[in-house]
Amino acid sequence: MIAHHLSLEYKLNMGWLTRYVDGLLKGEAIARSCTDCAKVSFPPIRVCECGGCDGVWKTLAGTAKINLRTTGQDGNFALACFDGANTQTVLRLVNLKGTATRGRLLKSRDGSPTLCLGPEEKDA
Amino acid sequence: MSNASVLVTGAALTPFNRRKDGTGFRDWSADAFDAALRMANLERSDIEALFVASESDFFHLQLNPASILASELGLVGVAATRCEGGGASGQVAVHAAVRAVQSRTAKHVAVVGVDPSASCLSSDAVRGLYGFSFDTWSDGMTGVTSTALYALSFQAFAQQHKTSDADLARVTQQNRANACHNPGAHLARIDTIEEILQSPEIASPYRRLHCSPLSDGAAALILSHVDYAPKNRANASRIAGLGAASDHMHLGARNDISAFTAKTNAMRRACDEAGIEPDRIGVAEIYDAYAGAQLQGLVALGLTKNVGADLDKGVFAPSGRCPINLSGGLMGQGSPVGATGVGQTASCALILEGQYHTNLQLQNPPQFALADTHGGICTTAAVTILERGSKAA
Repeated sequence: MIAHHLSLEYKLNMGWLTRYVDGLLKGEAIARSCTDCAKVSFPPIRVCECGGCDGVWKTLAGTAKINLRTTGQDGNFALACFDGANTQTVLRLVNLKGTATRGRLLKSRDGSPTLCLGPEEKDA
Repeated sequence: MSNASVLVTGAALTPFNRRKDGTGFRDWSADAFDAALRMANLERSDIEALFVASESDFFHLQLNPASILASELGLVGVAATRCEGGGASGQVAVHAAVRAVQSRTAKHVAVVGVDPSASCLSSDAVRGLYGFSFDTWSDGMTGVTSTALYALSFQAFAQQHKTSDADLARVTQQNRANACHNPGAHLARIDTIEEILQSPEIASPYRRLHCSPLSDGAAALILSHVDYAPKNRANASRIAGLGAASDHMHLGARNDISAFTAKTNAMRRACDEAGIEPDRIGVAEIYDAYAGAQLQGLVALGLTKNVGADLDKGVFAPSGRCPINLSGGLMGQGSPVGATGVGQTASCALILEGQYHTNLQLQNPPQFALADTHGGICTTAAVTILERGSKAA
């Protein structure tokens, strides 16, 4: 058996998702609103299910309702819907009580655009 | 387009497990291919195209694996194509190969699925890589794992279909019990309810024993046009219908996160091509990456209208109306990813021919079998319906 170490350092271009990713790095929820049907997707979807290809960026409040959560060795994750969005998203739960049903988007810490939900101000 | 023109003249699998014998993916591929070629009663020179299923270069550290395997298998000169669709890679390769034969591009083709999913990288490294098999810019960057995503989808399914932890345990026990009769299975074991419930919680409701293992191994098929099949293989099982479909990669973008909608659409297309309804399927290999995924799959494929009640009635047991995962499935037989869909199709073909493992072979093989695979969290679905040859056992 040969032990072979491979270290890779990617430089990923975000393309049309730049606004969304930059928002996460600042702790802002930047969604996409379809010009044709006004459906708001977060994370953003390029082509709306109505078929519309044009959209505008929309800053959401950054708060979300937790619909489902899973916990265990892999960490704490949830399916949540951000206020003002029509789609849900999977995100990591950080410092949220097990009974919490809502949270606020956290600013990404390590330079990666991570979707993390922490306590709302009143719970912090 | 009719599929009846394509016969599965050769089908073989290596054992699926964590290899500690010094062999590698080239060896397993050769073993599976050679066995399938012998079964087909053909020569290497008869093979006109090779389709290779392999999920990720990260596993074997070999870009362009189809060309390497063409050389390793003594097939230099044939058209060599690598097929990839995440967990569905094997079935995607089967589909590409079938279409090549149907179109008469080739008389005989080989399909080889292989991945060293267990032995080349650490479990942590594989878990990290798999996070990026979902939408990198949303799900992937959160560090979410495959188990967590499946768990969220299954929670929604369980609410809707009133399934319980007992149902998860039943699937786990059945698949691993089947694997006990499969000499090539990775996890041939009897799991007690207590062992299942006491195994570590990975992502609720999934515990470790609800999960399929990462495995090493290969599987191979030889597909032949019926007009050119060797005489002693003229009654081999046939490809009756293919279907494939996709869904939003991003789980939260789906209208119903509990449903494997892509699988439903793929099955409808395959049934249309085969000219049958799902209730004609008499045995199936279902993509059970997790115990709950099997339940979700059964519903999505139209194999049940009340999955909990049918589990209770033993419909999916080896002696039931539609035995599921006689091989042990991913949970029992194991899952070298690229080999999974190819192996499922091979198992179905062998069962229909009466050539499967002695204690798992159905005494009266049904007319139709189903091989079901998906990638992502049913983001890419691909299913194949096989039909028993007229004079098969």
